[in-house]
Amino acid sequence: MAQPTLPLEALRAAEVIRRADIVIGIPSYNNARTIGHVVRAANAGLAKYFPQLTAVVINSDGGSSDGTCDAVLSARVEDSHLMLLSTPLLAAHRLSFPYHGVPGKGSAFRMVFQLARQLDAKACAVVDSDLRSITPEWIDLLIRPILFAGFDFVAPYYQRHKYDGTITNSIVYPLTRMLYGVSVRQPIGGEFGISARLIQRYLQRQDWETDVARFGIDIWMTTIALAEGYRVCQSFLGAKLHDAKDPGSDLSAMLQQVVGSVFALMEEYDSIWRQRTGSSPAELFGFRFDVGLDPIAVNVERMVNSFRRSTADLGEIWESALERPTLAEVRNLASESGRDRRLFHFDDQLWTDVVLQFACAFRKHPIARGTILRSMTPLYLARVASFVLETEKLMAPEVEDRIEQLCRTFENAKPQFLTKWEASGKAGKHYAAARSQDAPRPLTAAQLEVNHD
Amino acid sequence: MIEILKRILEDTLQRLNYQIATYLPSLLAAVALTLVAYLAAVSVRWLVYRIFKGLTIDKFLRQSGVAFLVDPSGRLRATRLAAESAYWCLILVGILLGLDVFGTDLTTRIVQSFVFLLPKLIVAGLILLGGAWLGHYLGRSMLVWAVNENLPTPRRLAVLVRVLIIFVAVVVAADQLDFARSVFLAAFIILVGGAVLAASLAIGLSARGVSRLLGDQNGPLDGSAERSLWSHL
Repeated sequence: MAQPTLPLEALRAAEVIRRADIVIGIPSYNNARTIGHVVRAANAGLAKYFPQLTAVVINSDGGSSDGTCDAVLSARVEDSHLMLLSTPLLAAHRLSFPYHGVPGKGSAFRMVFQLARQLDAKACAVVDSDLRSITPEWIDLLIRPILFAGFDFVAPYYQRHKYDGTITNSIVYPLTRMLYGVSVRQPIGGEFGISARLIQRYLQRQDWETDVARFGIDIWMTTIALAEGYRVCQSFLGAKLHDAKDPGSDLSAMLQQVVGSVFALMEEYDSIWRQRTGSSPAELFGFRFDVGLDPIAVNVERMVNSFRRSTADLGEIWESALERPTLAEVRNLASESGRDRRLFHFDDQLWTDVVLQFACAFRKHPIARGTILRSMTPLYLARVASFVLETEKLMAPEVEDRIEQLCRTFENAKPQFLTKWEASGKAGKHYAAARSQDAPRPLTAAQLEVNHD
Repeated sequence: MIEILKRILEDTLQRLNYQIATYLPSLLAAVALTLVAYLAAVSVRWLVYRIFKGLTIDKFLRQSGVAFLVDPSGRLRATRLAAESAYWCLILVGILLGLDVFGTDLTTRIVQSFVFLLPKLIVAGLILLGGAWLGHYLGRSMLVWAVNENLPTPRRLAVLVRVLIIFVAVVVAADQLDFARSVFLAAFIILVGGAVLAASLAIGLSARGVSRLLGDQNGPLDGSAERSLWSHL
């Protein structure tokens, strides 16, 4: 696949600047309210911590109509170069996939990386444009490990509200840790530092037009770094506070893009993660401190109701993804959820089984991948509801312990999962074997009807 | 009286003789051909089993969802399907050849019409199979979408999509076979017209009205508290 050509104005700007030691990329889409602050923080960080180095801040915009570009230009700091570019966003992209904050974030990153290579940058950092808590120190924490400690990839480490980052906490973090044996707490955080050689590697890849171009970009970057043996570390950035996202965004599409990217990369790096056992934390930079966080309101009732209703409707699809005992447990959980909501509990083992069995189903049914992944949404909501109920009265460290416990459940499940994963890639006899006759039978339709009501 | 009976008997025996002399070789030839076809069918079935074994067709059928469509248990094997198809095709050819040996108007007509219809039957069958697969696939997609969007009666919506697509496939297959063309076409036009009218009415009600209508049944859809949770990765 040919690399897309950079826009003319970007090429001209690169010719004028010629080279830069550091590139800061800020993807945006209608972030006029916050991007000025992000650009100022980036410039201040560069001026304060890397005054001896040449730097460029690149805003890669997805066609904003709210004056985002003006906000970027008005935030210009005279001492550093500031370029304003546009990511060409195809109408089909926008129409086919629901946007969420930054549409086509992966495409925006691609342009930033191409420019970084063009400018022969030694290090590049990318930060979201909706951040309210970014400080100049973030730039230092994302860039310094690359420039002065020989790391290739710096992942963020934030303080987040216990109900924030639920896809990270319940799926991406435990799964990535189990697979690649490295504990990166925020694998899809949104702010990263990347070395020149890793940028080169990213640009060599041929899968930029997949979900990577959208929400899959963060996990894609992290996974490549972890799987291909690049030096990975984390930097403590404090609190992550960001703008409210577009309420029209579609959770199931987002889940599909993120989880689909994880599963697709699992297939690709199959031979690598099979060899890895246990996990160790990636080195952590920065001074850890406690911060105040925005509260997050959660409607547990609605999430549980959504799960209960879906269990009757999505049974036929779940049957092609889940093994009989797991499906029976899920159905049982749905039926019990109607009784006492406070007792609703989606336990770690069941959730681990669900995620890993969906990974196998993703591999087994390539044509139905989208449907399978989207059908996972109600299960995810049930798990989040259970987590919320369970951690309602817990403080942040105790919540972190709970997440740690989930990660250990995932890691313990790895040996058994390896067998099932292998079977999912082989012919149908394995499929039949997995659905063994001895497995408990799921609830009957009549039982489900009763439970549904 | 005896003479008459004797003549009748002789006539009958003569006719039988004539018929045996006329048709027995053909019958024997037909039986022989059918037997040869049967033996060929058994051999080909055995051969196909051996050839297909080890190929990745089973995997393809399973992964493409065709196996689940034809056999929901997911145990359908392409090898078996291909071998049995070849077997029955050869048996059918044997029977047709056997019929053709008689050379009568009736048998010739049967053979001719079958040979003429066969390609159309195959194409129609493939159209129906394709329609069933597409209906199944899109029906499932609709089901998941409707569930995730909290729409009322998601299963009915999914069935509606499936039925619509299969119906379109049936119309195309009927057209291919020249079977009740006008009836199917009229039904198709009525159905599409009805769907367009329903869509127009839905748009006419405006998104706000539809949202309120759905909201009444399933709780509010917009701006609810957990949106903030859903928006955070």
